[in-house]
Amino acid sequence: MTERQERRPETLSGRRINRRDFLKIGGAGLAGAALLGVAGCGGGGGGGSSGGSGDIVFAMGPDTSGSLQKLIDKFNKENKGKYSVKYRKMPTDTGQFFDKIRTQFQSGGGDIDVIGGDVIWPAQFAANGWISDVSDKLSDSERSKFLDGPIASMTYQGKLYGIPWYTDAGMLYYRKDLLQKSGFNEAPKTWDELKSMAKKVVQDSGTKAGFVWQGSQYEGGVVDGLEYINSYGGKVLDPSDASKVVIDSPDSVKGLAMAASMIPDGVSPQAVTNYTEQESQTAFLNGEAVFCRNWPYMYALVGNPDESKIKTDQVSVAPLPAGSAGSVSGLGGWNFYINAASQKQDAAIAFAKFMADPEQQKYRALNGSFLPTLKSLYDDKEILDAVPVIALAGEALANTVPRPVSPAYSDMSLKMAEQFNKAFKGDVSPEDALKTLQTDLQQIADQAS
Amino acid sequence: MTTVSREKKRGWLKEEFGNPERRTAYYMVLPALLIILLIAFYPVINSMWLSVHQSTITQTGPFNGFENYAGIFTNTDFLGGLFNTVVFTVISVAFEFVIGLGIALAINRAFRGRGLVRAAVLVPWAFPTVISAAMWRLMFQDQVGVINTVANGVGIISEPILSDRTLLLIASILVDVWKTTPFMALLLLAGLQTIPADVYEAARVDGANVMQRFFQITMPLLKPTILVAVLFRTLDSYRVYDLFWVMSNRQLESLSTFVYKGVRISQLQFAQGNAAAVFIFITAFLLALFFIYGLGMQTSTEE
Repeated sequence: MTERQERRPETLSGRRINRRDFLKIGGAGLAGAALLGVAGCGGGGGGGSSGGSGDIVFAMGPDTSGSLQKLIDKFNKENKGKYSVKYRKMPTDTGQFFDKIRTQFQSGGGDIDVIGGDVIWPAQFAANGWISDVSDKLSDSERSKFLDGPIASMTYQGKLYGIPWYTDAGMLYYRKDLLQKSGFNEAPKTWDELKSMAKKVVQDSGTKAGFVWQGSQYEGGVVDGLEYINSYGGKVLDPSDASKVVIDSPDSVKGLAMAASMIPDGVSPQAVTNYTEQESQTAFLNGEAVFCRNWPYMYALVGNPDESKIKTDQVSVAPLPAGSAGSVSGLGGWNFYINAASQKQDAAIAFAKFMADPEQQKYRALNGSFLPTLKSLYDDKEILDAVPVIALAGEALANTVPRPVSPAYSDMSLKMAEQFNKAFKGDVSPEDALKTLQTDLQQIADQAS
Repeated sequence: MTTVSREKKRGWLKEEFGNPERRTAYYMVLPALLIILLIAFYPVINSMWLSVHQSTITQTGPFNGFENYAGIFTNTDFLGGLFNTVVFTVISVAFEFVIGLGIALAINRAFRGRGLVRAAVLVPWAFPTVISAAMWRLMFQDQVGVINTVANGVGIISEPILSDRTLLLIASILVDVWKTTPFMALLLLAGLQTIPADVYEAARVDGANVMQRFFQITMPLLKPTILVAVLFRTLDSYRVYDLFWVMSNRQLESLSTFVYKGVRISQLQFAQGNAAAVFIFITAFLLALFFIYGLGMQTSTEE
């Protein structure tokens, strides 16, 4: 294109072409340029940016703590001349991030080597052969050092598809002060206990709501719904055969019925069925709720007077209440996945393992409150003192259950979000919701295999 | 017969391409045509192609006829989306038209500060839809939402607006009417200003009253504008996406949200999503044809 532009004046003066010819040439040139432009866009994803054999690209959403870039710099310094990592920022929104990565994979892999991705992604990527099987990169003894939940979330058809990074678990925040005033010294142990406590405390203290959680029709609603169901022993997929859907069971019905009873029994406000983390957080931090189910991040906000009307000493954290099968926390968090099409598998593994090392995980725990995936760090005095929520989360983390590991999880999630939300609202009975899901999810599972 | 038509055809070709002046004209529009073909027609044709195959995001599977189309019509999500979209379109456009016409008639008169009023009326329309959707969501919300609080206080509504789909649909119609009535008013106002004043004068001399003048003069003369305005708005509401997606936080399904979920979120409904996209394209096209041929809308100013 530049060539053409350079040549144009010369042609004009030298050969004296008439205006029409000039326009013709110009028009053709423009069309050509446009065509090239379009072609350029299409291939843009693949254009290589990394030069040396050990230069890799790491993709992850923005990191507000700043700790990520520091650790990347550290890795680059330690491996100077051997490996070098470049951090490519991805969208904050998990769905958009997923979309972007998936599009790159579809168009032939792209130039990203390592992805810092959500725990629900691996099966969807692995089923298409887009991410590397790292089973032989992490020995059994190495694997046993990590929490079970993150490992389980990355295990698809018996193979491991990622290296754990940091984790997240649903937990119960409660108003210590209000509970004490009503004569309760401990957090509720079971869902029934939570209900009776919530009712009493609301009555005594005049708080607006008893228990707020995430009941909206979205991924968070799926996590909450599954926590209720799992805590009564209900499961989505057969543990011994992941192609079989077993969600329609008496246990699941009990769990979903517990969730659906929250509104009619006056424990949760009616609006909880359109709450996401944001709304439940607002209700709790404004002092309008006694109990709140949320992720560990909220603990840091409690201490921040700009965000919260209540203070840290009014709040405590406990594992979620138990159903008949114990307490279960939905698993969140982020892991490292390696692009199967990457030419730099060794460098990619080296980087992921470096980041998963105790030293780096500890750094991220202290500088950003990221929950470690290494069991040993939950006994680390320095971390427990500096980040109390990690001490409090320990127990919840031991009971985490990942969401169904299926290549068609996105589709399953859409269906579950819809039916759970309907059941929470009381639009359908828990029995009917689960019956519908049994058929729909089995159909999805069959289609996906 | 055939020779005649062939000769005729050749004659046409000769006339079009034999003349150097005309040929140049074709050369001139060729780049534009190519680009349009590439960026407008290719995606449409490709969607249609995909919609009759058992396609996934990664590959185009075997041809399966109209199976995807049969699939969407047994899919409750799609049917729900279709229902919501049709109800939303019909009711919101009807309200927008009536209110918009009222506003247009009112600000068509000469009065002090008319310019200011005309500008002020346009404010809601100037908001990007996502922003007004997010804003209204906050107002409907149960913790800080003014509308929810007032509605609960007065006793019109006892439940949280954002938790009930019927209320959500009514709410989105309200927001759409709030947002796009100004646009309708503006289009109709432009039409009103093309009606010459002497027609009214003549009618008044003949003794026609206000109602007669409105129905015998204003409406017939405004008809072309009304058709254009209503068609614009109908096609626009028919594609509703951002308002539903943001204000209901993905609870309310429309045809467009169904397509988005199918092709972008789901791994398995890619083909159905494409079929739904083609369905929207074709029905919107038929709608436009109905306006042009069924209702006699003029597509150009030439008679």
